[in-house]
Amino acid sequence: MSAIYHGDDRVPIPPSDAQQFSTVCSYCIVGCGYKVYKWPLGKEGGALPHQNALQVDYTKQQPEQSGTWISPAMHNVITERNGRRFNVVVLPDKDCIVNKGNHSVRGGTHGDVLYASDRPTADRLTHPQLYRGGGQFPTTWDEAIELGARVIKASLDKWGPDTIAMKFFDHGGGGGGFENNWAVGKFFFTGIGTKMASIHNRPAYNSEVFASGDAGIAPLPSAYLDAELADTIMLIGANSYETQSIYFLEHILPNLGGATIDQKQRLIPGETHASGKLIVVDPRRTATVAVAEAHAGKENVLHLQINNGTDIALLNALSRLIYEQRWADQNFITQRTNNFPAFQQVFQSQSLDEAIRLTGISKAQMMTAAEWIAKPKADTARRRTLFLYEKGLIWGLKNYENVASAVDLALLTGNLGKPGTGCGRLGGHQEGYSRPAYPGQRPPVNVDEVAIKGGASKVFWVAGCNPVGGTLNAQSFRVALAQRTALVNQALGSTNGGSLDEKVSAIMNALDKGGLFLIVQDIYPIETAQYAHLVLPAAQWGEMNLTSINGERRLRLYQKFMDAPGIAEPDWKIMARMAHRLESAYRAEGKTEMAARFAGFAWNTDEEVFRAASAGVKGAQEDYGETTYAMLQALGTNGVQTPVQEIRNGVPMGTTRLYTDDKMFTFIPAPWPGFPRQIQTLIDDARYPFWVNNGRANHGWQTLYDDLRKPYVMGREPLPHVEIHPQDAGQLGITNGELVELFNPYGSVTAMAVIVDANAPGHVFMLFEHPKGWLNNLTTDYVDPATTIPYYKGTKAGIRRIGGLPGMNECLSFVPTNRA
Amino acid sequence: LPAIGRAAESPDITTLRTTLPYPRIKLAAIGRLKAGVEHLTAYPDPASPVVLLKLGRPAIEGIGPDQDIVAFSRRCSHMGGALVFRAETGTFHCPLHYAMFDAQKDGLMVIGQATDNLPRIELELDATGDIYAVGVKGLLYGRQANVLA
Repeated sequence: MSAIYHGDDRVPIPPSDAQQFSTVCSYCIVGCGYKVYKWPLGKEGGALPHQNALQVDYTKQQPEQSGTWISPAMHNVITERNGRRFNVVVLPDKDCIVNKGNHSVRGGTHGDVLYASDRPTADRLTHPQLYRGGGQFPTTWDEAIELGARVIKASLDKWGPDTIAMKFFDHGGGGGGFENNWAVGKFFFTGIGTKMASIHNRPAYNSEVFASGDAGIAPLPSAYLDAELADTIMLIGANSYETQSIYFLEHILPNLGGATIDQKQRLIPGETHASGKLIVVDPRRTATVAVAEAHAGKENVLHLQINNGTDIALLNALSRLIYEQRWADQNFITQRTNNFPAFQQVFQSQSLDEAIRLTGISKAQMMTAAEWIAKPKADTARRRTLFLYEKGLIWGLKNYENVASAVDLALLTGNLGKPGTGCGRLGGHQEGYSRPAYPGQRPPVNVDEVAIKGGASKVFWVAGCNPVGGTLNAQSFRVALAQRTALVNQALGSTNGGSLDEKVSAIMNALDKGGLFLIVQDIYPIETAQYAHLVLPAAQWGEMNLTSINGERRLRLYQKFMDAPGIAEPDWKIMARMAHRLESAYRAEGKTEMAARFAGFAWNTDEEVFRAASAGVKGAQEDYGETTYAMLQALGTNGVQTPVQEIRNGVPMGTTRLYTDDKMFTFIPAPWPGFPRQIQTLIDDARYPFWVNNGRANHGWQTLYDDLRKPYVMGREPLPHVEIHPQDAGQLGITNGELVELFNPYGSVTAMAVIVDANAPGHVFMLFEHPKGWLNNLTTDYVDPATTIPYYKGTKAGIRRIGGLPGMNECLSFVPTNRA
Repeated sequence: LPAIGRAAESPDITTLRTTLPYPRIKLAAIGRLKAGVEHLTAYPDPASPVVLLKLGRPAIEGIGPDQDIVAFSRRCSHMGGALVFRAETGTFHCPLHYAMFDAQKDGLMVIGQATDNLPRIELELDATGDIYAVGVKGLLYGRQANVLA
């Protein structure tokens, strides 16, 4: 029997009367549309079109790209809480304008992640757990909430709001959405009032793109349509083939291949149109570069293989070249912007030679980029360029100036508000943010350092993330978490069989002596949950109704189609339970003001929370106004692009792209700041010669919380891999598949070597979040002082060979992925 | 981590429990295969194009004296694109969305958007040197069951 995974050789046919639901992928920002079919186990549709829900003739072979083929990974058998069993199929929607029946390896395997007690998803969290008797054991919601509320209230009363820290999701899609986000924000900001709040992927409460906001540009100003219409697309710090796959395949590639020229001529008449050009700024030669070259021809793709951390220098140099060539959009600068002189001073004071030296990009390449971005078209019309950036820039050397220099280039060339233009995030997760205002300042406090390692907080509530591996400088974070939570374990151990009051008293004593009471809310028993005193089981995608927007602000309803396992609840409901308990406790003490802070959580349905959350998005790119679930249901997987302008005849009217009016923007001067102290120290230390970049790979999603339950994916990535250049591998004596150790003063981690020339010699790239090797053990504790955003994408390490693991290589492929 | 495996004992009343009636079809005589050269054929019926390949180096599930004869569906397991073989890397490439599958590693997807590795055609070599296709591992693109009703 082969060690290589193959699925079943058949799938059941959905019958004509199968229930149908409309949803969107739970994973990445692209937000492909899906249809869900659900019917009782034991029934099946027939092979003829009138006998099955897809109206397909199953007696025949379907043609390629039919949009109706069900792969086994799309199918599962579930059991409802009442014991009834159902077939469920999650099929990409061929009528959704985002994906047109296409899907990535991530969204296409949703069947595998549905809860079933006889499948790999069997270890979903089903009941609350409490630390007692030396371990975590099941309890009731009442007891879990009672203990949590008493500890939170006691800390709040004795030591104040900042002693309650949190690290929660704030995104859309699976594990997020407007409903859950609203309840979380209301609890921690209106209720508790804490400043010690942090977000799933960073140590503080901040925007990932403060500089864009300061310039006046929302993070998602363009539509996917703009990628089809652009003359040039510039990807900065993104490997879109792997991380925004269907946006790249269905909207970007067709333009590069010339398939959208007719559409350009129709929608933008009176201008010269040709196939689009692609500029990719990335220290790595990725699959994105390879696929783009294969599709569009090498002459239409420019890969700027930049030195790690030097984006600001490159982008300012491009601005300078464009300005000197007189290709800047003078009208736009005059009429639509402020502060140009300050920006001009920055790009004029960086010499081209300095930019070339820092970035490693030649003058010829920079000139080509400048031409593709801004040289007028044959008919003297301005070139339409779409700037799309993501984590390579956001988590780069210095978040604020990184984003500012990209925004400045877009403003210089007038690329906002017109078809085929834009400057914004590609996105990682989907979005669904709506919360009352964060009570802290900007830059926000570093919760990792101050609250957790520093001891300022005594209660820490974590939801929908895995910080022991996912946060920067993860090894030291994990050690601190373990030490502080152990103090509470000991205290609880000393009260064996004691009453709730005795437990709380023991816990408070431990907190007074530096302990940390940890609550972890999640769908799986993730590594961070090991240290928790309370584990709370949450409902996932498909087990509640949720709403979110994708990378072009497309708002959809993700319908509930099954029960959550055991007694797991949606996140908003868990927050509401805790709020009710605190409200009652304060009311019982006659503290009406405190009680009032925890009022207003009396929602009965997901939709009630959605409607309440509309208050938090007024005037923002997510503004959905008076939209209701019924309206969204009628719009299916195409939804409506926010902001919703009005409801006309019961239908929400949306917005294709932002800034088609005369809104003003601001240039943000962003000089290259040099390497921060932590990085310079590593640069100067010969023991750590390798630059370590990191990120996602196509087949895995974030911390692999679902992928661990997808044998197909784990077969591809049993251990995290690290890309090493053949020259370096030769010097280190490493061959494909061997285990190596990467180490620096911050920590060490092991990974499996993949020898490929994707990175320059002296540079490696490691998968960023694998439970069998946390890359973040190596990331430094540096954050941009202006934004409290880490430099995840750059650290330095030494590498040594450990040795081969028999049997592993045989089941893996080392064919380079960056040759299409 | 949970033990990763299939639903072994649940008494589902579905077609998941029976074996499909795979035909036994001769694909080629072993002597006709040249290393690195695709031999195009079909299995289990003419509407399912298949490639029979003598790889030239040992492969997972490879048959024959050199353990290097394998066969796969020629339809990409993503959306059915017609795969092209590249001898230099021993991989199948899809022109639609650039998936790559490794012929030496039982159709393992190297990169791409398919939700399963490339379906393998199960082969047997008889005493006279004839290669027979006897089954398929994984679901062929565009079908609800590998053997059409």
